[in-house]
Amino acid sequence: MTTRADFLGGIRREMAKTRGLFEARTAARPSDAGEAFEVVKRQMAERWPQALTRFQEEFERIAGVFHRVRRLDGVPGVIRRIADEREARRILSWHPGALGLDLRESLGRQGLSVTLAPDDDPDAEARRLHRDEAARAEIGVTGVDWALAETGTLVLVSGRGRPRSTSLLPATHVAVFDRGRLLESLEQVGAMLEALHADPSRSMSGAVINFITGPSRTADIELTLTRGVHGPKEVHAIFVEAP
Amino acid sequence: MSDAPLKTPFPQRAHAALGDAHLQEALTIATTKFIGLRKESFAGFPAGEALRDRARAIKEATLQKLDAHLERLADNVERLGGHVHWAATGDEARDIILRLCRDKGVRMAVKSKSMATEEIELNEALEAAGVKPVETDLGEYIIQLAHEKPSHIIAPAIHKTKGQVADLFSKELGGRFEADPEVLTAVARKELRQKFLEADMGITGANFAVAETGTIVLVTNEGNGRMVTSLPRIHVAVMGMEKVIPTMTDLMVFLSILARSATGQKLSSYTTLVRGPRQPGEVEGPEELHLILMDNGRTRQIAGTLREALYCLRCGACLNVCPVYRQIGGHAYGYTYPGPIGILLTAMLKGTHAVKDLAHASSLCGACKDVCPVRIDIPRMLVELREHVDRERIAPLGERMVFGLARRAMASPGLFRLGARLGRLAQRPFVRNGRLTSLPLFFGQWTRTRDLPPVAARTFSERWKDLDRP
Repeated sequence: MTTRADFLGGIRREMAKTRGLFEARTAARPSDAGEAFEVVKRQMAERWPQALTRFQEEFERIAGVFHRVRRLDGVPGVIRRIADEREARRILSWHPGALGLDLRESLGRQGLSVTLAPDDDPDAEARRLHRDEAARAEIGVTGVDWALAETGTLVLVSGRGRPRSTSLLPATHVAVFDRGRLLESLEQVGAMLEALHADPSRSMSGAVINFITGPSRTADIELTLTRGVHGPKEVHAIFVEAP
Repeated sequence: MSDAPLKTPFPQRAHAALGDAHLQEALTIATTKFIGLRKESFAGFPAGEALRDRARAIKEATLQKLDAHLERLADNVERLGGHVHWAATGDEARDIILRLCRDKGVRMAVKSKSMATEEIELNEALEAAGVKPVETDLGEYIIQLAHEKPSHIIAPAIHKTKGQVADLFSKELGGRFEADPEVLTAVARKELRQKFLEADMGITGANFAVAETGTIVLVTNEGNGRMVTSLPRIHVAVMGMEKVIPTMTDLMVFLSILARSATGQKLSSYTTLVRGPRQPGEVEGPEELHLILMDNGRTRQIAGTLREALYCLRCGACLNVCPVYRQIGGHAYGYTYPGPIGILLTAMLKGTHAVKDLAHASSLCGACKDVCPVRIDIPRMLVELREHVDRERIAPLGERMVFGLARRAMASPGLFRLGARLGRLAQRPFVRNGRLTSLPLFFGQWTRTRDLPPVAARTFSERWKDLDRP
């Protein structure tokens, strides 16, 4: 069995033989991740309207469906319409603590079945139950950590009350965000990720960060674009105007 | 793993592919489409050229400190609760996975598309050990049901028609399915959804791994990479050791050019950053995460001829533009990695012997280098490989004799003149319309696919002698 020491020793022996390498550097990163984070925040506090326009354009280009509501209490109405049009009844939602909104109160009373993700420390039985619910759900409702204008991408960090499969298993994914989530470029996303990892207090609880750029797609049969192969067939983004 | 030479030699495999009209058509359509998509994507992206330079520099800088980056990656993965395994060879990588399967009672493993696991022929090994491997990328799933090998790095089933896929699904899954990609995709969705939920183990490759944060990065369009890393209780990632990159900032540089090069998308539908197994408070995610860092011939090239091939992102762009790949497709190459970069990777993994013919399966036109997102100088390395093949005396005997004679004649004016005279005599019966179109013996190898200009009635040096010079 190869040990770490064997493996790295072999690499070092070969590295010692290399000659005449050109000088190369990795990408220049902010010297202070926390400061870079604040700079991006300040930039976006001014530039979010342009970013929103670009986000909508790019998101629609990749077959995303964009909605806009004045206040958070307008969100359930949009979800209701999406559910009605698809004759969907089962909704799975991030926990209100992560989403900022309790859909049970509004949609639950209208005959839709709403399941909330747990935000405690789920035991094996709770995890199994949640998975069955997720597999049955027709619509998954999540928040958004960053909405990336350049590519129309939704970035979601998993964690307590914010399961990774809510945006994956149901055939329709609905994501809710506001102006504070908008970013312009992948470079800015990089700055945010550097900050997230540099500062333990900002560190997330979950193991996965997903960049979602439109619905699940494939072109593996005769290069014909087909949506919804494993993940959602449709992705909706609801922008809430009120900050 | 079979290191024995393939049964049919490359020229015959290539010849068979050239005679397959359906394959020819599929290849032309697919590669032309990919070329167009890539071109369009970079045309609207002025920062692209500078980002490619940066990406190349990052790959080189990382290689220059590869040991330190791998140590850091391993430390961080372990700190987050993952396990790191070191595999010097492909056999060792397979054994690690088989042992895990045995120890953890794994009966079914779902896989997202991974060239690293193709490289070590993992599926065959799992089956032999009684574990059912299920490919979940639609293209790979089709290939697996058909018991074939992928023909393109990112579009494994481009050689199949929808009619063939419908027949295959009908036969293997029971039922009668319409030859409509939409219908067939829905069939696969239903079939595979169940597998995701039942499987004990998820096996992935890794497009990148970020050393500083211990993050494994997977790029997919279908979402199968997400399923495989979320639902089964064990996640195993198999990664060529050169895939490590230093930081998140570096990752953003690669993400901004990878999908554009592969499919012309700005980003693929899903980029998944995995950092450890399920964390406290999470309702989902694997209980165990294993990262297998694999050498399998790579270390040898750190100071070797093929060093630059270690930059490769596996985007497939060089396949699409290669005039040879466009004619013969992936299968004719005979190994896991096809196309121009595939020749280099095959030499890296299997040794120079494996590419004694393949080293010549390139016109050296340079199109591959032009489109490579990290500007790998593939033609230069192909020329160096040819040199190795010659020096190690593994080229076919006839070829070596002809080139040996040619070299001697070129080096000696007397022999050169004699050769010209003999050539003029010997070629007489074969000149047709001023060209040599069909030669006997092994010279025929050349004229089978192209003409040769005959030796001129008077050579340049003969005319030079007679020239009136002031």
